[in-house]
Amino acid sequence: MQVLDFSQKAPYDFIELGNTSLKNTIESSHRLRNIDSPTNYIGNFNRLNEHEFIVNFDEKKLDMIRLVYTDEKTHIFGLDTSSIELGETSNGLLCAVRGTIVWKDKVKYNYTRYGPFIFHVTENNKQFLYNKLRQMYFGASKAAPTPDVWWMPGRIRNILERWLQGQLSQSCEDSVILWDGSLTAWTIDSPVALIDDMLQMARSRGNVVLAFSKKTKFTIFGRRIADLINNRDAPCLLDLDEIIRQQYGNYLCFFGRVYAAKLTPSQFSFRLDVDREIERETGINAVQKLISNDIVVESYPETLRLAHILSRFSASEIIGMQRLIAENFGIRTVFRPNIRQILFGPYGGGLVNNKMIL
Amino acid sequence: MMQIYKIDANTVQVICCPPEDVNRGDYLLIEDVNSERSLIIQVINSGYVNVPGILEDILRSSSTEKLEGVDLDPLEVKSFVNIIKDAELFTCKIRGALNKGKLSNNVSWIPPRSTSRLRKLPDVDLIKLLENEPQKGLDIGTLKGGGQISININSIDGKLNIITGKKGTGKSHLSKLLLIQLVSRGGICIVFDVNGEYINLGYTKNEGKTSLYDRFIPLTPGNDFKVTPQYAGLGVFLRVMENVLGLPATSAWEFRRIWKELKKQDALTLNNLNSAIRAVSNNYIQDALLRRFESLINTKFFTDDWSVATVLEAEMDKMDKGGALIINLQNINSKFRQIVVEFLLSKLSQLLENWGLKAVFLFAEEAHLYLRETYWNDVVTRMRHLGMFTTFITNQPDSIHKSVYRQADNIFLFNFTNEHDLEIVSRAAMIDVETVNIIARQLPPHHCLMLGKVLNNFPLIVRINSLKEKTMGETRLFFSDLKIKKS
Repeated sequence: MQVLDFSQKAPYDFIELGNTSLKNTIESSHRLRNIDSPTNYIGNFNRLNEHEFIVNFDEKKLDMIRLVYTDEKTHIFGLDTSSIELGETSNGLLCAVRGTIVWKDKVKYNYTRYGPFIFHVTENNKQFLYNKLRQMYFGASKAAPTPDVWWMPGRIRNILERWLQGQLSQSCEDSVILWDGSLTAWTIDSPVALIDDMLQMARSRGNVVLAFSKKTKFTIFGRRIADLINNRDAPCLLDLDEIIRQQYGNYLCFFGRVYAAKLTPSQFSFRLDVDREIERETGINAVQKLISNDIVVESYPETLRLAHILSRFSASEIIGMQRLIAENFGIRTVFRPNIRQILFGPYGGGLVNNKMIL
Repeated sequence: MMQIYKIDANTVQVICCPPEDVNRGDYLLIEDVNSERSLIIQVINSGYVNVPGILEDILRSSSTEKLEGVDLDPLEVKSFVNIIKDAELFTCKIRGALNKGKLSNNVSWIPPRSTSRLRKLPDVDLIKLLENEPQKGLDIGTLKGGGQISININSIDGKLNIITGKKGTGKSHLSKLLLIQLVSRGGICIVFDVNGEYINLGYTKNEGKTSLYDRFIPLTPGNDFKVTPQYAGLGVFLRVMENVLGLPATSAWEFRRIWKELKKQDALTLNNLNSAIRAVSNNYIQDALLRRFESLINTKFFTDDWSVATVLEAEMDKMDKGGALIINLQNINSKFRQIVVEFLLSKLSQLLENWGLKAVFLFAEEAHLYLRETYWNDVVTRMRHLGMFTTFITNQPDSIHKSVYRQADNIFLFNFTNEHDLEIVSRAAMIDVETVNIIARQLPPHHCLMLGKVLNNFPLIVRINSLKEKTMGETRLFFSDLKIKKS
């Protein structure tokens, strides 16, 4: 299989819309965000949207699948995205998003990193921005309700992630594609038609999509579903699909067959979704190809780990972006007094609305 | 752009982002535009700013070493991030202030952090501050920016200097440069040349004669440098016998008696002294005197023949337009060296006391090899007031008496890496330990940190000018092109 060059494609609308949003910044007193411990919002979209479900089933009935290593060579592709708030302005916020595709060939890992793309999201432009991006990348014809400005970085990140997933689906052949998160569709971030299209495209080119969830709120017998596999010998899968689907199929659209996965003998296990439309055996075989062709540490594929690391923003990158905004777009940086700190001093705590404060 | 980060006592920390061409030793000016005052600070150390997240970046890049990839970075954020990562933090020392453009010692104020402007002080401005008058100065070297540094002759005249640094850094080179320039300006100098490095200063590297050829007078003790007992005088003879050769007091009294007796008879010769000593009735005293007297005779430094004897006054007369006596102490033993130095210092003191000599610049290489303990204080106090201005040159800072560091007016510090050596040099009153410790370690060969009055108390890193004269300071190598002479 030829090695793909992802650098030929870029999300041009992200560049253009981001620049436009920055250039149109008027009266932009800019309150810098804290960079001591940047809170990167990464692509685990289902984390915020899933509710806790209790399923009552007999653990012994769960189907345990032993995995074996294979000599079959396959390319492994993984992707992840990240968003960060850079600061506040008088009428909105500045944020940046970035995404990375990582793949492993015979000898080394390769990556193409997209971004950072910087946006100035305001009450005035958020609707335009959001719907324009959805239109461009989801093909959505109808305007969707726009979230609060504070949720916009996550939404923009999600659109970038979907675009990258789409790129992989239509570019790769006979490969294993790793998504960060799940294959569950039900929210505005995960339109059913879009996910369906992407999976179908991937399938038609001989790819298998696997989605790893680092966190899930699904529980069975009062336990995290990933924990159900802890005392089993690795590498193995625990098929939870039937239980989960029977119980929640009415509320959620499961594009993936749900497993608990323990790929190496370690204390960690994950929820793993495998494209439902492919043969069950083909899906399991794809997981076997993954563990045979990729480095797996603590049950987590290295390809996906690198995609995460490369997407994440560091504090120095945040300062660099703040400087870029100041120099290239003339945004005046003004520090607003921190009321909480003034009132409570050291007793004010470090977190305000889940954000660290200076 | 540079900004003040912190000021603590005499130390200022400056952040420079994006990085500018500022190095250790450079001077910066902090201008408080509102009050027309400026602080003059010197960068003594530089490092990176502790940017938050830098550790994460480094760890991230180290974990991605096996990665190859492409960054589609449309806004070119990476260049901005690199600027942040490369942001520098300068640790600086306050060296002075400017009040309405005039140099001031009042550094008790602090400039405002928010509105002060920082800029690198160009060589031209710095040289102006040094009150450098090239026409009156000795051309010494250049600053990093190419500015010519000449030191005011008044900052050397009447002063005590130390040239120190580890082997091969250019100490002797500087001392030769100073010597040549002093001689060319009419100065009278004496050099204690322990390695025979100065004897060919009258020659160019191509063996031709320099314009100052006649002004350098090399003298080799025992060879073309001999003195008569009458000229040396009883005082010198006795000091040599007692201090160098360890003559006991009783024997010294006997020698004094013999000397005075012969002088009264106008018969003071080496032969007569020898005979008189042999005639001493007390065998112990006779033996003590004889052994020491024979040691003196064996040096061939003393003679009765006035035609081959050196008279310092006559040599000084030859140097009425300036000159240097190069006392070649190479290849002579330690006692002999001490005898020669004892004679010269005593004689020079006499000459200066009697105004037979206006003043003299003394260049003492590795003085601990020939200068006895009691002379250190004498050199830096009494003799200095008489007009003997010494420059000590050494690669062993601990060999110079600690009082010399306290009294030193100027220090020319070359590279040192040994902490013990640096600690000794930093005893000098004119400089803080930090500056010496950090800057001296970084100095490349032929660069020296000049401290003291020589540059108006502004420590400066100067690249020393090269010499066209033959210096002979280089070590002979086995694996070189030079061939052995067959007899």
